[in-house]
Amino acid sequence: MAHRKKVLLKVIILGDSSVGKTSLMNQYVNRKFSNQYKATIGADFLTKEVTVDDKNVTMQIWDTAGQERFQSLGVAFYRGADCCVLVFDVTAPNTFKSLDSWRDEFLIQASPREPENFPFVLLGNKVDLEPRAVSAKRAQLWCQSKNNIPYFETSAKEGLNVEQAFLQIAKNALAQQNSAVDLYNEFPDQIKLTNTQKPSGGGDSCAC
Amino acid sequence: MPEYTVKHQQLLFDLKNTVESLLVTQVANVWSIYGGLSRLHNSLEKIFKHGVKSQEEDGDYLNFIQGLEWLQPEHSKSYFSVDCEYESYIPHHLKNDKSSIWLYRSIENHSLSQKLSWLLSDKTHLLACYQSYAFLCQDSYAEATIVCLRAIEHNQVSLISEINPNLFVIKSPGREYHKVHRRCSSFPDNHSKIIWDNKKRSKSFDFNKSNKKVIKESVLGKLKPWNSLPLLINDNIKLKDLYRVNSVSKTTPSTPVHTKKISPSMIKVDYSILQAKAKKPIKRPLKKIKHVLINNQDIIEHKQTLSSSQSSGNVDITLKEKSPVHLATSPLSIVDGFLPLAGEKDYRKKPKKSFIEDGGMSVLPMATGFFPRPTKGQTLTSFLTSSQFSRANAELDRENAHFKISEAIISAMEQIKCKKDLKLVDENEMDDSDPEIFDLKQRIRLRRRQKMVEKSRFVPGSVLSDGRTDTTTSVSPNSTTPDSLSDYSSSDDVDDYEIDQASNLIENSGLSMSMASLYSEADLSKRPRGAPDGASDVLSAEGVALSLISKFSAKQLPRASELEWLVSEQDAPQALLPMPKSWPISPDDGPQSSSTTPLRGTQEWAPPRPQIIFTKHTAPSRKDLMHKQNYRCAGCSMKVAPQYASRFRYCDYLGRYFCTQCHTNQLALIPGRILQKWDFTRYPVSTFSYRLLEQMFADPLFRIFELNKNILKLSKNLQICRKLRLGLFYLKDFVFTCKYAETIQERFEQELKFYLLNDPEVYSIEDLVHIKSGELKNKLKLLVELCCRHTSECKICTARGFICEICNSEEIIFPWQMRIVRRCSKCGSCYHSKCWKAEVDCLKCERITKRKQSLDSRS
Repeated sequence: MAHRKKVLLKVIILGDSSVGKTSLMNQYVNRKFSNQYKATIGADFLTKEVTVDDKNVTMQIWDTAGQERFQSLGVAFYRGADCCVLVFDVTAPNTFKSLDSWRDEFLIQASPREPENFPFVLLGNKVDLEPRAVSAKRAQLWCQSKNNIPYFETSAKEGLNVEQAFLQIAKNALAQQNSAVDLYNEFPDQIKLTNTQKPSGGGDSCAC
Repeated sequence: MPEYTVKHQQLLFDLKNTVESLLVTQVANVWSIYGGLSRLHNSLEKIFKHGVKSQEEDGDYLNFIQGLEWLQPEHSKSYFSVDCEYESYIPHHLKNDKSSIWLYRSIENHSLSQKLSWLLSDKTHLLACYQSYAFLCQDSYAEATIVCLRAIEHNQVSLISEINPNLFVIKSPGREYHKVHRRCSSFPDNHSKIIWDNKKRSKSFDFNKSNKKVIKESVLGKLKPWNSLPLLINDNIKLKDLYRVNSVSKTTPSTPVHTKKISPSMIKVDYSILQAKAKKPIKRPLKKIKHVLINNQDIIEHKQTLSSSQSSGNVDITLKEKSPVHLATSPLSIVDGFLPLAGEKDYRKKPKKSFIEDGGMSVLPMATGFFPRPTKGQTLTSFLTSSQFSRANAELDRENAHFKISEAIISAMEQIKCKKDLKLVDENEMDDSDPEIFDLKQRIRLRRRQKMVEKSRFVPGSVLSDGRTDTTTSVSPNSTTPDSLSDYSSSDDVDDYEIDQASNLIENSGLSMSMASLYSEADLSKRPRGAPDGASDVLSAEGVALSLISKFSAKQLPRASELEWLVSEQDAPQALLPMPKSWPISPDDGPQSSSTTPLRGTQEWAPPRPQIIFTKHTAPSRKDLMHKQNYRCAGCSMKVAPQYASRFRYCDYLGRYFCTQCHTNQLALIPGRILQKWDFTRYPVSTFSYRLLEQMFADPLFRIFELNKNILKLSKNLQICRKLRLGLFYLKDFVFTCKYAETIQERFEQELKFYLLNDPEVYSIEDLVHIKSGELKNKLKLLVELCCRHTSECKICTARGFICEICNSEEIIFPWQMRIVRRCSKCGSCYHSKCWKAEVDCLKCERITKRKQSLDSRS
């Protein structure tokens, strides 16, 4: 039944400007990285076919503009999202501080049915860079305070942890969709959800 | 030979006019009238040259006047010997021309009428020197000339009435010809010129042999404008006839009967047809306008657009009927349309530089005299290299700037030298110091410094005042404050002077160091800072001086505002500049006067500046305004006698009177009238204004809603266009960032100017004209519809829409749905206008402030 119909997962990437949202998406979808910075205007999306738990799903990944100056554009695309990826730059503490507002804003604009249970994933990007300003510990603490959000430390430049992170995102999104549809609750994914902290911890130690 | 009659009449008319205008003022000595003698000389020379038998092209009548030698030998002795004393009084351009000098002198010493009558008395001599058609060979005209000369010599204007009035009345074909000319006098540079040119050209032919050709050419000259009017030629049978006339005239040399056929009445008929033709295509698009519904609901009030498009259609038609008033009055005005100087201008031709690009600086009045003042505290180098110098657009400015720069550099050097000497004196004194004196000196120094500070506190306002006269604020520029620059002495701060390397260098080697050593290679390879191309390359005198100056440290150099000008504005007031005290005899004075006027601004007059004037002038009282203008032309400062003030022309844009040379009755749209009254009538403006207005025609210079709060009430089309532009302003954010909207983007780039999208409140005169005509409305409407269709279908664009946070409905809303959506001006989020009550704050803004507060409290 898993193959019965094609599943579309809508994933939204949020975070301050220049934390690496577009780079992460490009690394994941196209396996490409460019050092050149080009501000994203408004929002755009890429799609990627993945197999999650023997299930073919299409991930529709929405990359957004971090800069506030693109206010003239709305965020209607938040609606119907299955997972939200929050990104910050581990070398820039302010990008970490503004995570709260990104999360709040998303929950208000997307207005999911159960805001407290909506799946977020936190990515601390640019772990290849020095000096580090936000420790893994601090990030994990924040995640715990927000209903145990999974945390990954990534480097879009080196492709570090990107695949794993997005796999997790897909899983969480799928779980969210299933719970929303409220059909079958037989998938063991949800158990794995709690396990996700293990790889993230591993990634943390690697990076340090 | 009717074509010569016209010429004769013209010559006589010219002469009579000059004489009349010279005599009307009743001055004891007519030559005291500025330019009078040379003008009279000019008209007479034309008469003398007409039809002269001569080898040279422009005709020398020396043979003719030499007849005096045997006609009246006792008088002729000294005719051609010019004594040295006298020479200086003869205008430059005459100095090589014996006969001209003879004429000039004869006019001046009131002997010409006598001499001429002697010369004319011998018919054989006359015919030996002149062709039979020559002006002087016509008895009646020659007599009239002598009458004119006598009138001048006796200073009696009444004598002119002796001239047979029949000479000015033209029978047969010449009649229209003359009329044509008269009519043209208020449209100075059109038809008559063509005739003139033809005449001139025809002169080069040998008259006896090529009569046919000449006649043909003059007919062609008349018809020339019609040739370029294809509509008329194709559609009008009468014109075809005219053409046939033309071709007939090729074969038969005697044309008078045919030329007579070109009568004004015929031309009028042609025009009405043209008018009717012109109207049709304008009506059509208006009728075609249909209500197009777009997927996105109720975008920008379609219903209104529909109703207004009908009404505006009517407006348009009436406009079209009205506007040809200038044109319809005379058949000639059709001709005007093809000539560059006529009132109607061809806007399709893009001016070289727009007003925005160069601030109208490329539009030059007759004379300009602008020189930048140093701002306070500006360093010398930055002042000298300031781009204002290189903006010198007139030759005169450039010259002045050069003087000014040299002066600044010289005085800067002098000041440095002076300071250095004083410093040395100071040091010497200090050498034999006992501590007490040293202490005293220290105190004096402190006090001086305090004084300096106080002084600089009081002076500055006037230091910055710009001494230039201002044509807008006050007509009499006397009110401008004298520049206090030169009062501001910098000698007090001698003590602050510090020696550094550069000054040591001077001490050691003096200022006589060779240029080469001052001239590092780096200097040679680079332009001085801020200097634009060609303005001052290093090898120019200016460049050398600048690199010399650059060897001193900025600390040592006096500030530009502290420069003690060798000749200050006060020492050499503008009044000292030469200004003609008298006035030219006629305000319509010919081209010879133009070379005498270019001056800088004076106390009585300032050249017009390129200004944007947003308001319309109150109806002028000629007397008052002319008085305010000191009876000077606002364009070239030419003075006019009060009794001739009526000949000056009012420039509706600048609100000043101009002489007929600076104001050729060109018609232009007046921004002030459009903005205040939505009045698109073209008014006569000066040449300067015309060019300025032409230059700014397409520039977005007018925030019309700020300039006139009620302007929306004046035009329905404007209301619609405003909404459409606001809609596009919102739409462009979506469309221009959407990768699926490339075709629309391209279309925008082709069809709309940048500002129309980005700054919805700003308009150019061109836009307003297009709004009036409905053209812009239709264009914008099409684009809005195109964009709306895209955004309603495009996945990315809909994703970028808004959701009303207040009602939280699934409906996606967009900012351009102005009837149902309200947009927060601060954060840009959109709500249903029915959901968002005015008194409540925007929800997103509230969150943003809260977050800020919590962040602030945390930190």
